[in-house]
Amino acid sequence: MTINPRKTSYLFLMVLCFSCTEPIDVDQLDDASLDSSYLITLIHLNLKAPKFLDALNQEIPVTTDMVSMPDSDDLYPYLKRVTFTVKTRNTFARNFTLNILFYDADKKLIYTLKPVIIVPANSGELTHILEIPENDINIIYSTDYLGMTMSLWKSTTGAVINVTDTSEFNLKSSMKLYFNFKKV
Amino acid sequence: MRKLIFISSFLSVFFISAQNKQILYDFANLPQTLLLNPAVDFQGKFHIGVPGFSQLSLHGGFSGFSVYDLLAADDVSINDKIATIYKGLGKTEFFSFNQQMELLNIGFRLKNNSYVSAGYYQELDILFKFPKDMIDLYYEGNTMVNRRYSVNKLAGQAELLGVFHVGISRKVNEFTRIGLRAKIYSSVASASTKRNSGFFYTEEGTDNIYKQHLSNVDLFLETSGIVLPSDVEVDQSYIQGQFLFGGNLGVGLDVGFTYAPKEAWEITGSIQDFGFIYYTKNVESHRIRGSYELEGFQLDFDPATPDTYWTDLKDDFKDRIARDTIYSNYINFRPMKLNASISYSFGRKRADDCSFMNKVSPYAHKVGGHLFSRLNVVHSYIAATVFYERRFGKSLATKITYTADPFSYANVGLGVSLRAGAFNIYAMADNLLGFKNVYAMQSANVQLGMNFIFGAF
Repeated sequence: MTINPRKTSYLFLMVLCFSCTEPIDVDQLDDASLDSSYLITLIHLNLKAPKFLDALNQEIPVTTDMVSMPDSDDLYPYLKRVTFTVKTRNTFARNFTLNILFYDADKKLIYTLKPVIIVPANSGELTHILEIPENDINIIYSTDYLGMTMSLWKSTTGAVINVTDTSEFNLKSSMKLYFNFKKV
Repeated sequence: MRKLIFISSFLSVFFISAQNKQILYDFANLPQTLLLNPAVDFQGKFHIGVPGFSQLSLHGGFSGFSVYDLLAADDVSINDKIATIYKGLGKTEFFSFNQQMELLNIGFRLKNNSYVSAGYYQELDILFKFPKDMIDLYYEGNTMVNRRYSVNKLAGQAELLGVFHVGISRKVNEFTRIGLRAKIYSSVASASTKRNSGFFYTEEGTDNIYKQHLSNVDLFLETSGIVLPSDVEVDQSYIQGQFLFGGNLGVGLDVGFTYAPKEAWEITGSIQDFGFIYYTKNVESHRIRGSYELEGFQLDFDPATPDTYWTDLKDDFKDRIARDTIYSNYINFRPMKLNASISYSFGRKRADDCSFMNKVSPYAHKVGGHLFSRLNVVHSYIAATVFYERRFGKSLATKITYTADPFSYANVGLGVSLRAGAFNIYAMADNLLGFKNVYAMQSANVQLGMNFIFGAF
């Protein structure tokens, strides 16, 4: 077989210059999306009787607190919904209502997480799941303070909390953020 | 956009991959083979590369996936493709890129028949390895309790440098040649991260539902020539100065041998870039280390003064996870390359009674195998090649290779070297099977160059 050097060189150059491609579709990148979720540990409480009594040892019917929230603009518009898991244990002989509240920069209430948590008297560990649904998620971006209100129900049995009471109210919580990352 | 993707993917196969020059190695008596093995028995009396064009070398590869894997125009949704790619990723994937451009390559034969060669080339070398744990954390989130997301395999090195070199190939006995090449490196810019450790995980808590940990995190990034003093003006003369002994300097050695135990058989071996660079100029390194545990926070039920929990958390995090900027000098070893080959040649033209041959003519055929390995703190790998080389008289030599490497088990390469008098031009490329669909290629190598070679076959 005779091999022509010139033809061989042309063949090599053709291989380099005339490469082929299968069709690709770059536009499909617009439809790419990724769902992922992240757990964040949140508030935990272990409250004893003095926390529900004032200086005169009288019951405080409503106990509230508020924490400032970090800037959440970076989450926009990828954050789709948020769920809160709250675990409670109550050895007081009294019911509690627990509200998680969202406030704006002026400390004006703008959102109440649903459902409201009711913790029965003398209850073991109960798990409550609350959610900020996709329709309400924009409330996150307007929130500057997160508040919690604990309301002590009036006694129906005559039982009252006193300073020597050894009962406890325990609360554990976490938050799960659901993201959908895609081109916006 | 489509054109951009095409061009970038086409170029990426050149700009990415390993530093294996399996086609060039010991091919066609090219002067550039002396850079891969300084002991090569170069047959010319004198050579000079065309300045700036004696060798342009590009290598590239990404071990993870190709453009076509992601963007093929078919009925599969893009999200299913991403899921398939994600499932196919190994524990670590790596991206590498190497580019070299010779500005000077010259050599001459001494009276004792040794061959001296010297030159200068510019090189850009990048290798980045990332652990799948980091992708998992982004892709799946952190909702798997007790799953540890490690950064242990996060590593990378990038270097832009100029290399001066001078070497000699010397026959030590009838069967053996040895070669030595000394190098001076002048690093223009460098960044490397190698000794990273630590992990993030979430476990069930005691006081709260979950406890989250950043455990023994130690991230270290060394840079030089990247963060420059404000009075430095980065212009052409500055860059030239950095390339020409003005950068961070280092030294290195290439050593090699060839051994021909029998007629037509040859064994070769070489070590390239056994050396280091000592970084003293414009050094700035960053280190982040520490451990952090978080089990949530408690409320003090004082609505008059809202808790600054998040601010406190941020401050506490800064206190416990130390971030240091370091200006100490440091040393980095160059990525060392190992080559070894065995070959058998046949088809030599024989002298007869009617002709007089004052030189031994080269064999027309050569077959053999070649092993390549790159050894580096960041990432090491090996490639194996079988080859067939064919010479067609004085004017044309060709070589075809079949290589298995981390990017492909079926990498076919082709090299051609042409001579017209003293003028020589050569070109070689691998992964030719991938040229039927450039988008599907995950790696490729190309070398091109021109020389003047005097006194060769």
